[in-house]
Amino acid sequence: MKIAAQEAPRLRHFRGAEPAILFTVSRQLFAIAADAVQEIRSTDSIAGASSEFDCPEVPKVRHTFERARRQYYVVNACAHFGLRVARPALVLILRQLRVAVLVDRIERMTELPSIYDLPLGFSGEERRWYRGLTHIEDHVIPVVDPRGFLTPEEFRQIEGVPVPLASPQELEGAASK
Amino acid sequence: MMACENAQRDSFVLLQLAERRFALPAEGVAELAPPVRLHTFPHTSSLLSGVIVRRGRILPVYDAARALSGKSSLAHRFYLVARRRFGETSEMSAIPVDGECELVTGEARPRSEAAPPYICGEIAVGDESVGILDIEAFVRMHENTGAKSLSEPRA
Repeated sequence: MKIAAQEAPRLRHFRGAEPAILFTVSRQLFAIAADAVQEIRSTDSIAGASSEFDCPEVPKVRHTFERARRQYYVVNACAHFGLRVARPALVLILRQLRVAVLVDRIERMTELPSIYDLPLGFSGEERRWYRGLTHIEDHVIPVVDPRGFLTPEEFRQIEGVPVPLASPQELEGAASK
Repeated sequence: MMACENAQRDSFVLLQLAERRFALPAEGVAELAPPVRLHTFPHTSSLLSGVIVRRGRILPVYDAARALSGKSSLAHRFYLVARRRFGETSEMSAIPVDGECELVTGEARPRSEAAPPYICGEIAVGDESVGILDIEAFVRMHENTGAKSLSEPRA
């Protein structure tokens, strides 16, 4: 056993720099691959097209909207990650998934130099939430897995709920409902 | 982090957790790391408080003291870095410890019947009998009973 001097971190799982979006939810920083996001909109801008949605089994989804003839489900990221309720201002509309995610704000675009596997000690739902962890400027940031926002089981549950035809609701402040 | 079968080896690291002393077989201990920044993010693994970056690796931090005493004391800590096994594989993990650790030699004795299930033996240190901590049993026990309340990141 020894007490050793602190060393600079080195890359262990280099997979090539990956463009990513850093965003915050309830003051917690996350990263998501840029190519997983189709569009970023303000909650105001899609409020008119959204419908209130109620599925008790999946309470993190409170709204839905239609886009290009596809029904998108809006996941409140605070509820998804079990974070303190915040006031989301933006919606990340994901690519290839009928999921949009309410987040607080975009911090910046960046390139992830590496993604470390989530340590095996983490054995809960976070294994589904995250692709891994990245280390940027002395911050360890979880890299979210877009597929983790709604599992196939959750999709089955919410697909069984009839969607109102037209009842636009304000998405803004949805987290507080 | 060693399982109990290895406890008969005669070198142990004494560590202080929640004002109690425990022994860990030394062969599973890598180092005593200085206090470094604890990084937190949402998760549901009840014993884990976050991760630290050490020697280029991201290590999970097991807040064993909190599980023992109910009080988290993540400040002013050294981190005991030890190996935890997961079947055929293993990973280095960190346990915040109070103050200094001590390397001792001694002969492992069977645990007393009154000892908790995560104590797999004892060693004599002076007049004191110190329980040998079976980290795997400790984690299993607290993963099963611990509330999933760590989603909220803590500063």
